[in-house]
Amino acid sequence: MDAKYAVITNDLQVAAATVDPQRQAAVDAFMPRQISFLEHMRRLGVPVIHMQLVVGEDDPRNEGTPDELRFTAGSAGVRVLPAVLGPGDRVVPKPKDSAFFDTPLHDILRELGVNVVIITGMQAQICVQTSAADAHFRGYAVLVPSDCVVSTRADDVDRALQWLAGYCATVLTGEQIVRFVENGGRLVVKDAS
Amino acid sequence: MTAVAGDRDGLIVLDHGAGGGMSRELVVDLIATGLGEVYVGEWQDSTLLAVEPGTIALTTDSFVVDPPFFGGGDIGKLAVTGTVNDLAVCGARPLYLTLAMIIEEGFPLADLATIVASVRACAEEAGVRIAAGDTKVVRKGEADRIFLNTAGIGVLDRPARPDSRAIVPGDQLIVTGYLGDHSIHLLSLRAGLGFESRVPSDCAVLSGVIGELLDAFGPDVHAMRDITRGGLGTVLNEFAADCGYGLHIDGGALPVRPETAMAADMLGVDVLYLANEGNLCLAVAPRAAAGVVDLLRRHRYTAQARVVGTVVTGGGVTGGGVLMDLPGGGRRDVELLYGAQLPRLC
Repeated sequence: MDAKYAVITNDLQVAAATVDPQRQAAVDAFMPRQISFLEHMRRLGVPVIHMQLVVGEDDPRNEGTPDELRFTAGSAGVRVLPAVLGPGDRVVPKPKDSAFFDTPLHDILRELGVNVVIITGMQAQICVQTSAADAHFRGYAVLVPSDCVVSTRADDVDRALQWLAGYCATVLTGEQIVRFVENGGRLVVKDAS
Repeated sequence: MTAVAGDRDGLIVLDHGAGGGMSRELVVDLIATGLGEVYVGEWQDSTLLAVEPGTIALTTDSFVVDPPFFGGGDIGKLAVTGTVNDLAVCGARPLYLTLAMIIEEGFPLADLATIVASVRACAEEAGVRIAAGDTKVVRKGEADRIFLNTAGIGVLDRPARPDSRAIVPGDQLIVTGYLGDHSIHLLSLRAGLGFESRVPSDCAVLSGVIGELLDAFGPDVHAMRDITRGGLGTVLNEFAADCGYGLHIDGGALPVRPETAMAADMLGVDVLYLANEGNLCLAVAPRAAAGVVDLLRRHRYTAQARVVGTVVTGGGVTGGGVLMDLPGGGRRDVELLYGAQLPRLC
């Protein structure tokens, strides 16, 4: 079967990007690579789906949190970063870490005929890892661009990439993935055992 | 749907715990009726039970699992299996349980009915009766949805019973199921990690298979524990401390699902200390080990049974200690876990 790709971004939202100065700096450094990668993918006709963390008003993390750092519906913080949004992109709310947990993402991907997902975003050791594992369990081949995932700490990115490569994903640079997709590369689903 | 009146949304209200008519409706029409013939309480201050002369086993446990509903069970199933399994691993035949509930105001009556149905199904499977109960309702925020407590009584009517002080060198150490499944399932469910559909909770009534095992191999089953909080690492250390000999474990033989290993690696937790709710660790005389494994493998809850180690004197293993050969080469001490790795799993 031919490869049909989709790019999934995780939590590229105002609240997540600005939670503290260290995170802000990591995100600032990552954004040009992420924006460029998404632009390449869109030109290649690959759909981009932004997973947006949205929590309930009763979530204990809301207590004492200013609006721009909240993930509640309608808050300033919940917004997807405008710089990563492109024409035709979809935004899909999610309640928890994995992009697939209690979301329509699997149905959307099946409708699009997608069999290879490219997982990006933040944080590498939480939502990127769990979304990649969940995609793997659901039978997708998983690609992770090593320079299009971000965490507050670089160590966390390194450990997450090592784990992803060991268990469930093919880890390449964003540029390698662009070339891979351009050339119609094939991927096989990894065997986690 | 329950016929018991709640608030307009079908939720528990404080009046359900006030001792009046609404309390009686809840206890009689929802709980006792839901338990059916499993409930043998007498609506008195105490229930009188006829128990054969001899030794009884008595245990109690409280259940605060978060979330109360999970893949492969719920808090009701857990409250029965936990106590029944604790009785059974001591060699007792479980007979009676008590069932106490602390319910938060606003808990759905329909969910309570589901939990009661689980208690009933599980008690039927285990062949135990609910002989007494209690229900309290607390204000919003004073408890997290629902907490249960069960106490259990069993009779010791077999000539031999497992006792970890009876472990001797040469005994084979057997584990009956995948390690860590209950922990990983719940952790994944709480945070939406994506492992919950691949790794179900192993919560199960083990008294049936334990009874068969003790009837067939009683004197050769020197020790038996169910692997719950603290995981296999804790059970092995308890065995070693009780018998004073060393335990030598083959790390490559431990049953671990690939997905569980993957999740534990991601979360930075050690599978050896993760909880199960339907998994046993046994120390068995070497002459009986193959037969025990064979019997266990024929039962659905213990189908992964295998020998994972040996009780030793010397060989580099300290008396009272646990040493594990690692699959990739090398060895590690399996030490007693101090503090909790993970909260509210049972």
